[in-house]
Amino acid sequence: MRKYLFIIKTQIMSNLQYVFNIVFSFIGYFILLFILFNLWQYLYSDPNELINGYNMTQMSWYVIITEILWMTLGGRKLCHKISQDVRSGNITYNINKPYSYIGYCLSTHLGDVFVKGLIYIFLGMLTGLLFLGSFPKLTLINILVVLITAILATTISILLIISIGLISFFIEDSGPFYWIYSKIILVLGTIFPIEYFPTIIQKILNFSPVYVVSYGPAKLFVDFSWDKAVSIILAQIIYIIIAYGICYLIYKKGVKKINVNGG
Amino acid sequence: MFMAIIEVKKLSKTFKVKIKDKGLKGSLKSIIKPKYKTVKAVKNISFAVERGEIIAFIGPNGAGKSTTIKMMTSILYPDKGTIRVLGYDPTKDRKKLSYEIGTVFGQKEQLWTHLTPYDNFKFFGAIYDIPEPVVEKKIEELKMLFELDEFINTPVRNLSLGQRIRCEIVASLIHEPKVLFLDEPTIGLDPVVKENIRTLIKRMNKEYKTTIFLTSHDVGDIEKLCKRVIIINDGQLVLDDTMENLKYHYLNKKIVEAKMKERVNLDDEDGITIIKDKGYNLKIEVDTTKRSVADALKLLNPDNIIDINISNIPLEDIISDIYKSKDL
Repeated sequence: MRKYLFIIKTQIMSNLQYVFNIVFSFIGYFILLFILFNLWQYLYSDPNELINGYNMTQMSWYVIITEILWMTLGGRKLCHKISQDVRSGNITYNINKPYSYIGYCLSTHLGDVFVKGLIYIFLGMLTGLLFLGSFPKLTLINILVVLITAILATTISILLIISIGLISFFIEDSGPFYWIYSKIILVLGTIFPIEYFPTIIQKILNFSPVYVVSYGPAKLFVDFSWDKAVSIILAQIIYIIIAYGICYLIYKKGVKKINVNGG
Repeated sequence: MFMAIIEVKKLSKTFKVKIKDKGLKGSLKSIIKPKYKTVKAVKNISFAVERGEIIAFIGPNGAGKSTTIKMMTSILYPDKGTIRVLGYDPTKDRKKLSYEIGTVFGQKEQLWTHLTPYDNFKFFGAIYDIPEPVVEKKIEELKMLFELDEFINTPVRNLSLGQRIRCEIVASLIHEPKVLFLDEPTIGLDPVVKENIRTLIKRMNKEYKTTIFLTSHDVGDIEKLCKRVIIINDGQLVLDDTMENLKYHYLNKKIVEAKMKERVNLDDEDGITIIKDKGYNLKIEVDTTKRSVADALKLLNPDNIIDINISNIPLEDIISDIYKSKDL
């Protein structure tokens, strides 16, 4: 475990070289929020009106949180990197090191997300306060639980994306698979909460990654309840085990197919 | 005193490579019915390496060197044969073996470019589970040995290629590996830096008794570092001998380069091969088992010679001769 924490620390140290790049990338996030805030203002004739259980402020905070989770994740970059590692044979340089490749990818990417996450949380909260004027009623413990669910959500996302990237062992390009995954998460959990969809789809979404990687932490942030917190954390733990299992199986099967010539 | 720490027996590896017919039609056909061909990258090779040896493992591009190294370092699975590195089977004891071996690939960076060499060394110490005080001591020791003092706190991205390679080697030595695999460590370096790296590798081998398994296309690396050479070509082992024997085998051939006062008309004869004939400048190869050098000089007429140089065949030529003739 110590080595993986050290990998996270090393990645954080490396990423501190890019702090200004991260701050500038926030401009894109800010524009996106601005568009969504205007959309909600258009949809809500009265800010206190409830649509599917959310008032306008809650909807805005929901999007702030899900977008922080989504934008700090950098999923496309991660999937592309793993896919490239597999296709170019670069993965071989990690195989003969005393760590698991999956653990290494997870740790380096968590280190990546950490620096970006801190900056985005600070700037995201500031943007929310400026636009909305208030902060959801949360105790310090509540905030801690939300943070834990956000970390677990990121871990699941990373593991799922690693498993998509590892598909490159069997097919040329895993890009289309990531495209489908990203659109599902974006449309079904990031821009709209699960409650916005028909009951039958809601039932499916409650068992899908959407529930654990984006909806869960954001829902707790805007409408905290201990019942919900327990069910989300439990679901996240189960998902981590499943996602790691998928990664492990794909990797174990794929690594025997490595076909590197040259040198 | 010596014991075999690498044992390779009847090792073979075959790859399945996709093939495609020409043009668009071929591309479409390969989607519906992909065709594959098998490439025998390594064919039934065996050798052993003893502790503390510096071995040159060489061969032309595509000979199977890299595939063999990757099987020895547990990256690839062999189809047939057995490998034991320090008593471990690389296919089964991948993790245990990783603690005992180090790898440096000259064409591949393993250092974190935004961090300093010092932070990188600490990172490698952590992934090999080495306690902090031990890592610190080791860094200090290697810093002196590899003369890193000047740039140990400069981010890797700002180092020259020679400095980076030195750091790559140090990073692979942090966990005190018993065997070090160096894959073209001096590629792209200028002659002075190359010489410096070779000296450091030699010093490291002497200091730590690290067994070094070196692949390189640079004859200088092989000549100056290795006492034994294994040559592989087309997946087969074509030579496994000491450097001394290799040179001795070819010592019976001499190169005579002469600058003449007058034009000499010389033809290939038994034991004499004309390499270059530019009228006044001649370059001939003399096979001393058939003809003495003195005989050859007589043919040239000593009074007619302005300048002369008699030398052994360069190692580079010896090796390329071996590459060309698969049956040595």
